[in-house]
Amino acid sequence: MEGKEKKVSDLLQKETTRRGFLRGTAVATGSAVALATIGSLAGKSAYAQAKPPEAPKKDLMKYLFAERQNCTGCRACEYACSVFHTGVVRPSVARVHVMKYKDVIDVPVICWHCDDHPCIEACPTTPKAIQADPKHNGIILNENICLGAKCMKCQEACPAHYVRANPDTGKPLFCDMCGGDPECVKACLAQSCNPQGPCLMANKLGFGVNMAYRAVTPEQAGADLLDLTFYPNVTGKRVTPAKTAKSRKARR
Amino acid sequence: MSAPKGGCFGKILEINLSNRTYKTREVPDEVYQKAIGGNGLAAYFMTNEYKAHKDPLAEDAFIFYGPGPLNGTYCIAARTSIANMSPYTGLISHAETGAHFGNEIKWAGWDGIYVKGRAKSPVWISVVDDKVEFKDATNLWGKDTAETHEAIMKEMKDPYARTAVIGPAGENQVPIACVIVERFRAAARSGTGMLMGNKKLKGIAVRGTKAVPVVDNVRFMEVANYAKKLAVEKEAWQGIKRWGTAGLLELKHYKDGSLITKNFQTTWYPDIIKIGGEEAGRRFWKRHVACNHCPVHCLKLGVIREGRYRGMIGEGPEYESGGLLGSNLGMNDFNSMIALIEACDAYGLDNISTGGILGFTTELVEKGILKPADLDGLKPKWGDGDTYMALIRKLAYKEGKAGKLLSQGVKKMAAEVGKGSDYYAAIVKGKELAAHDPRGDKARAYSYVLGSCGGDHHEGASTRGLVIFAMLNSLSLCSFATGLVWGGENAKITVGMLNPLCGWSMTEDDYWTTGKRILTMERVFNVREGVSRKDDRLPKRLMTEKLPAGPKKGAVFTEEDTKKFQDEFYSFLGWDEKGIPTEATLKTLGLEYLIDDVAAARKEYKL
Repeated sequence: MEGKEKKVSDLLQKETTRRGFLRGTAVATGSAVALATIGSLAGKSAYAQAKPPEAPKKDLMKYLFAERQNCTGCRACEYACSVFHTGVVRPSVARVHVMKYKDVIDVPVICWHCDDHPCIEACPTTPKAIQADPKHNGIILNENICLGAKCMKCQEACPAHYVRANPDTGKPLFCDMCGGDPECVKACLAQSCNPQGPCLMANKLGFGVNMAYRAVTPEQAGADLLDLTFYPNVTGKRVTPAKTAKSRKARR
Repeated sequence: MSAPKGGCFGKILEINLSNRTYKTREVPDEVYQKAIGGNGLAAYFMTNEYKAHKDPLAEDAFIFYGPGPLNGTYCIAARTSIANMSPYTGLISHAETGAHFGNEIKWAGWDGIYVKGRAKSPVWISVVDDKVEFKDATNLWGKDTAETHEAIMKEMKDPYARTAVIGPAGENQVPIACVIVERFRAAARSGTGMLMGNKKLKGIAVRGTKAVPVVDNVRFMEVANYAKKLAVEKEAWQGIKRWGTAGLLELKHYKDGSLITKNFQTTWYPDIIKIGGEEAGRRFWKRHVACNHCPVHCLKLGVIREGRYRGMIGEGPEYESGGLLGSNLGMNDFNSMIALIEACDAYGLDNISTGGILGFTTELVEKGILKPADLDGLKPKWGDGDTYMALIRKLAYKEGKAGKLLSQGVKKMAAEVGKGSDYYAAIVKGKELAAHDPRGDKARAYSYVLGSCGGDHHEGASTRGLVIFAMLNSLSLCSFATGLVWGGENAKITVGMLNPLCGWSMTEDDYWTTGKRILTMERVFNVREGVSRKDDRLPKRLMTEKLPAGPKKGAVFTEEDTKKFQDEFYSFLGWDEKGIPTEATLKTLGLEYLIDDVAAARKEYKL
């Protein structure tokens, strides 16, 4: 109970919206740069050498979030994820992926780190092969216990249709939040620029948004985005110039 | 001879359509060091396997779908290069396209797909890692590129598969047919669509789950990250991120004076405000789409919101498509122009050549050389979208008199029509020019006249630029996100990435030597077909007619310019004054096997 109260008070005192978080990091980075500049200006003073400016301490992130309409389909997130986890670029084992919907929409497919963890609930082994890390909320898979291809109950249970199998081992791939500082978010922010803002974001609080978004499958999200983006063509139905010309002729 | 350590697998998927078999072609590391990949590798295969005067439509003629060593790695914006001997010009030809197709080939564990033979009935190929399947495409035959793509994706049952398909134009063997990759990107300009149609190959779908091996990952990531940072931060590139290449339409009109207008009559086209980037931003674009790992996202998707094409989702305009099918045709209705672009993509036609042919036809009608009776009663005039739409359809299906005439391309049309029409033909080495008028933008003439393919805008805008672009096209890298951003650092960054990736010990000198080697291989191939200095020049109109208006009013491309460009380029490459590689150069570049070919060509063409 006490813990919960603390959380609420945090919420009231600090800027904790997504934008607020981003602004916060921007300010922190800016001050780090300023410090570094001062250090270099001061030359080789003993102080600058003894105490290099410390990187601002980051909170561990617990939730991923995708601003879906900002995705350009560049797959920088897949690249960063697979490089972090396997050392080389290999999108087929990335824990985040970008799905093309009807060739015109890119849908980022991520783990929303649900608070009730349907995947862990569904895991039939004892002890559970998948656990949520209490510190950073990342889902950690114990490959020794996991039953792999013959089970995949987690895949069935995931409301967001996020879980895919590793093509080598047949075992499911889970987002472990890279230990609280997700690489995909950093990669997305680095690529994003005028006029397209970042798509992937991370936060230490879920605000229930994760629970709302997790109920949407990638296909539904694609359909929604298509409707939103390409009005008046809300279904993505193809209008070909040839057919348009023909049908006009027939009407005449 | 050893297998590659990293970057490449040393395996090329060799498909023979005649008997529906495939095998692995082992390629040693030395060949990659010599020719890199992509179109360099294709030039290596072509000079080795083809004798002079090869029939480009012969059964054993091949198409090479080639990614480079950097595809599928952390390097940004790796693309696909498709190379073949062009049935349109009879010369070596390559086309580059964006999207994820090339990377998927690498992730499937191949360094390229080499297709030869001719199927008896229509076929499409599915490549999933090591598994290759030949699938019946009888039902797909006749469908346009988007429908084909959709049907193939449905059958692949995998939203992450990538396709390259042809449309009705390719099936009907129109020589300007192109390959459409993932619905919106085109590898055009080399007649690959016609060749695929000739082979009865409707498309290829690829899905891969492997990774490209890297020798020294730490060092490689360092350089790759640096290269990426340059592309993210380059200030001049923020405009391309916002406006795509459509923004260049206005720029080349107002500032450079090199916007193609009405078949090179002028470069001043005030109506550009109705069809250019700003208008597209105002009434068409909806989202930005990037190729893999690219921060530039230059492709724009949009939807037409009113009029007869309401609801049409399309891409563009890009500079080339908006120039050739926009200002070149005197279009001032934005929606009609988008519909023309979309129609070309759907039929699988090269936007640039189609625009060139339509512009040429319109000018001939305007000058009274062609009569509507020669065009099935159609009378094209500048800005008449409906007539152009009808002509594009006829062109793609070779329908009627107009279709048969237009589908031959400008060179043969001029020969057939006669009556001085060749003066209006804007072609180099038999291929239509792209949307940059070389009178206003003289540097572009390097690419047009000295590039291997002829009439191609994507082969560099200076002597060194041609070598850089030869390397970029062989690495299958995007010139926007990599080559042009790196500028003077091209050699340093490329070598810096290739060495730790492949375990090579290339120096910056080797970079230039390799680029020159690729250009020389391509040149020797063309020399065998009779190309020499006399072909490296712009058409007569651009050398005599002064620009009548615009920022470069009075400019003309002179004989001295031509001579200067040629001399500078030939001496840099080590070719003689006739534009033919000398024996000494061939020996320095390690191309001894081509000495006899060059000698034979010299004898044959008395050079």
